[in-house]
Amino acid sequence: MRERDETLDEPAVRFDRVSLSYGPDADVLADVSLQLRPGSMTFLTGPSGAGKSTLLKMAYLALKPSTGRVSLFGIDTGKLTRPTLARMRKRIGVVFQEFRLLDHLTAYENVALPLRVHGDSEKRYRDDVVELLKWVGLGDRLDARPATLSGGEKQRVAIARAVVVKPDIIIADEPTGNVDEEMGDRLLHLFRELNRRLNTTVLIATHDMAMVRKAKADMLRLADGMVVRVAIPPAAPEEAPA
Amino acid sequence: MKRSSSPLLPREDAREAALFFVVCALCFLAALSGLVARSAYAAADSWTDRVTGQITVRVRGTDAQTQSAVEMAMTTQGIISARALTREESVDLLRPWLGAAGVPDDLPLPHLIAAEAAPGAGQAGAALGEKLTAAGIDATVDDHVVWSADVKRATDSAGLVALIAVGLLGATAVAVIAFATHATLLARRDIVELLHLTGAKDGFISGLFERRFLMLGVQAGAVGALLALGAAAFILFVVKQSDQRVWLLPQLSLSLADGLILGLAPLVAGVAAMVAAKVTVLRSLSEMV
Repeated sequence: MRERDETLDEPAVRFDRVSLSYGPDADVLADVSLQLRPGSMTFLTGPSGAGKSTLLKMAYLALKPSTGRVSLFGIDTGKLTRPTLARMRKRIGVVFQEFRLLDHLTAYENVALPLRVHGDSEKRYRDDVVELLKWVGLGDRLDARPATLSGGEKQRVAIARAVVVKPDIIIADEPTGNVDEEMGDRLLHLFRELNRRLNTTVLIATHDMAMVRKAKADMLRLADGMVVRVAIPPAAPEEAPA
Repeated sequence: MKRSSSPLLPREDAREAALFFVVCALCFLAALSGLVARSAYAAADSWTDRVTGQITVRVRGTDAQTQSAVEMAMTTQGIISARALTREESVDLLRPWLGAAGVPDDLPLPHLIAAEAAPGAGQAGAALGEKLTAAGIDATVDDHVVWSADVKRATDSAGLVALIAVGLLGATAVAVIAFATHATLLARRDIVELLHLTGAKDGFISGLFERRFLMLGVQAGAVGALLALGAAAFILFVVKQSDQRVWLLPQLSLSLADGLILGLAPLVAGVAAMVAAKVTVLRSLSEMV
């Protein structure tokens, strides 16, 4: 079992007065504070251009805030050395909005990529990767390269790659944007299973309010550079199930 | 179920093929320059070895005076042998200048004496000259010191120029490799970023590029060195075909030293490529969080 002493009483993700700007008058995020408790499942919503992706990038350690502090499991990531940051990233599974699959690798190899980076032997992970790909409905596409996959298939490969290492945190940027409702439900179920069974903290940025309502999870709304915790709004009449 | 794992970096693309060609060409030129530099030094040594200790005495007088001069030479300190050249030998020496028709029988030829001084007996020629003058024999003693020093200076300069060319070509190769590595890295930035965000340490990512460019450098360098070997062998063949006076030409003998130069070229290219890749990748990674 992975050591998680530092996580017992600390939020899995914490932003303290975080701002990010690309110039004097180009604030992307301003004074954002939020906390995600370990094992929580949270949706991040907000209008396009509100800074959701930027916020996620800071959470998965791709960006440093201009001011403020980003902590993971109680550790101020701004004070970590590069090797420690690399170790911290291994605890985070990311589903990128643009998938970021490697074109020269097969679906199987793309999913196995984090395991290879972690130094695991293929003998150990082979069956798990195949099983996971079957679970996301790509059991017959193991050797397909991204160029031959549809948008939805690419998205499922990207999700499988994010969850294959059973990370402590999963951060997903519009993970159901390119899949049909049935597959969306299956992927949501996968996130919930990881959240419930493995106590994985899940943060999902989405515009898909139907998915948010189905998940019955926490919801944060990002607007005007500020984050507020909001109640999940009821479905509009045309969204309600028949 | 047996599955294979592709390399994390895609197999070579057009950019790397172009880089392979450039490194190959640079290694060819560098190896050939190295061979030329070494042969220039070898030629200088060969020429000076040939003439060092050789003394030629030209006697303007009778056969008897020539014989006396030979005896004086034999008794001069530092001279270990001396003999008068026959008319046939003198004619042979003139043949290249007078053509196949040869020397007319009635053409008077100078009386020549070939003497050899012991190693280190640098003043033997001068001593012999003084003895001949004292004996009243009209003769010129040539111990080749002046022109052999000029030749040595010239060949040393040629060797130095070749060494500078090797250095410049090596530096150019490193700069080109660094530039190409950077271009390749830009094209592979998606992979670098993904690996970085997946938790790969800088050394892991850098190692992928280092191994790739080490192999590229070694392979391209080996091809370049082989081409240089082929060119050197061709020149050697042409030289051997010329005539007996090959010692006048640069000594492209493909010796152990030449083998060392040819063997070093791919190694230097590989290491240069690897170091360039490492520096470039780490610099690029340092721009990421």
